[in-house]
Amino acid sequence: MGLLTATGVVAGYGAADEILKGVDLRVEPGEIVGIIGPNGAGKSTLLKAIAGLLKPKAGAIALNNADITGREPRDISRMGLAYVPQEHNIFPSMSVRENLEMGGYVDPKGAKARIDGVLGRFPVLANKRRHAARTLSGGERQMLAMAMALMVEPAVLLLDEPSAGLSPVAAEVLFNAIIQINKEGVSIAMVEQNANEALAISHRAYILVDGKNSRTGPAQALAQDPEIRRIFLGG
Amino acid sequence: MEVLQLIVNGLMAGTILAVPAIGLTAIFAVLRFTNFALASHMTIGAFAGFVANVTFGLPAVAALGFAFVIAGLVGVLSDEFVLKPFRRAGFITTAIGSIALTIALENIVRFIFGNQLRGYDLPILRDWNIHGIRVSPQQVENFVVAVIVMAALFAFLSFTRVGKSMRAVADNPMLAAIKGINANVVARLVSFVAMGLAGLGGMLIGLDTTIDPLIGFKTILQIFAAAVVGGLGSIPGAVVGALVVGVGEELSLLVLTPAYRTAVGFIAILVVLTFRPRGILGQRAY
Ligand SMILES: Nc1ncnc2c1ncn2[C@@H]1O[C@H](COP(=O)(O)OP(=O)(O)OP(=O)(O)O)[C@@H](O)[C@H]1O
Ligand SMILES: [Mg+2]
Repeated sequence: MGLLTATGVVAGYGAADEILKGVDLRVEPGEIVGIIGPNGAGKSTLLKAIAGLLKPKAGAIALNNADITGREPRDISRMGLAYVPQEHNIFPSMSVRENLEMGGYVDPKGAKARIDGVLGRFPVLANKRRHAARTLSGGERQMLAMAMALMVEPAVLLLDEPSAGLSPVAAEVLFNAIIQINKEGVSIAMVEQNANEALAISHRAYILVDGKNSRTGPAQALAQDPEIRRIFLGG
Repeated sequence: MEVLQLIVNGLMAGTILAVPAIGLTAIFAVLRFTNFALASHMTIGAFAGFVANVTFGLPAVAALGFAFVIAGLVGVLSDEFVLKPFRRAGFITTAIGSIALTIALENIVRFIFGNQLRGYDLPILRDWNIHGIRVSPQQVENFVVAVIVMAALFAFLSFTRVGKSMRAVADNPMLAAIKGINANVVARLVSFVAMGLAGLGGMLIGLDTTIDPLIGFKTILQIFAAAVVGGLGSIPGAVVGALVVGVGEELSLLVLTPAYRTAVGFIAILVVLTFRPRGILGQRAY
């Protein structure tokens, strides 16, 4: 059993309730797991199902050997899983500091110390702690979204396209932060549009196509696979 | 001098109007519909205050607290049992449902208290004359109460965990759910606070004049105008909008007969929606 395991997950939205057609995912302690695949493959849907925003129609999801299938987001969050959505992942009219407070909402005890810790990790945010989050740059917003997730001191962090829309420099800074967070013991499952980068920093990776697992294995091996290079890595 | 007097009157009236306007805009920010039942909650507050003040003999300031609590509680119950089931059907349906609700609640008040005009038990005081500007001590007291209540609300939203969680839901409800904020609890809280403000505002207006079951209905247009002019969903916007409507109505007396002053609300809505569709301060919740 891994730290986070999803087995045969079937989930979707309303009438389209089988966007995921039985997906497996496993995250071991200390790992960065990359999730890549074409647009509309169901990558975001998988993260939403794990985080509790979508109730799976079938399959099972377990965190630390505890069943979390179909549980409320706040329970899952309390159990040590933090999820950073692809879009709308900050509270725009609230200050950076208030965003961090809301990030740690389920666990208000000792929030002050955790805010200081998180701000220490992201000095750009520390300098703008009183600014409204809507005034941040794209890179700073992604930092803030990740910092909010760290406020619950998660065992597992789910990131949905953290580098989307960022300049290469900003993406580089962000990926370094992700590697650093992982080195400090947080396991990470990360959906990425930028497959090259994803495979470069992941230990293992999953390729999703049309709501199903397509390929999986060590990230390095996948990065060298000719077929994957042709489809996802531009040759 | 006359203009100055009108502006002073308008600022006083606008400040009081801001209290229920904040309620309307706060409900919109969190629950995403315009709750016209605010009108009957103003009436309920005004009459709850009347009972506290005239029947129980409490001073007006204490009765205002009573108006807030009773209107707030009715607001929670009416939202939970009447409006909440409508919300799934969308904005328009819920807004229309709130009109039906307000008619029903208003008639309950009418059934209990009758149609006649009533007045609060207030000490009779002479108007003050400050450099030719006349104000009544009651007006000043109402103004001070409104300012204190708004300051308290801003402090609540800025500094308390609960207040911040309400702003978070207004800002991004999906993310608030991910972070573990209970949207149902926040919905009940916003109903209590917003309808409490409506009830308090209803009584403040009544303290200046008289009350009858139509007191809320007669002011809801001004309040709606204030909230729309400032930017529906924005609390500072509601304050700015209320001052614009309050001063605008008074200044309109220079060119219109008093019977037409309510047109100012309509005109303000038209002008703002034409040139700044999101209102003066936009739709930021806070
Ligand atoms: N809220 C929704 N309601 C209905 N269908 C949705 C919703 N969100 C996504 N879908 C559909 O589900 C499918 C998978 O979407 P999903 O967002 O999981 O893809 P993705 O792999 O994350 O794609 P991308 O790389 O574009 O982010 C798509 O066909 C999409 O149209
Ligand atoms: Mg996606």
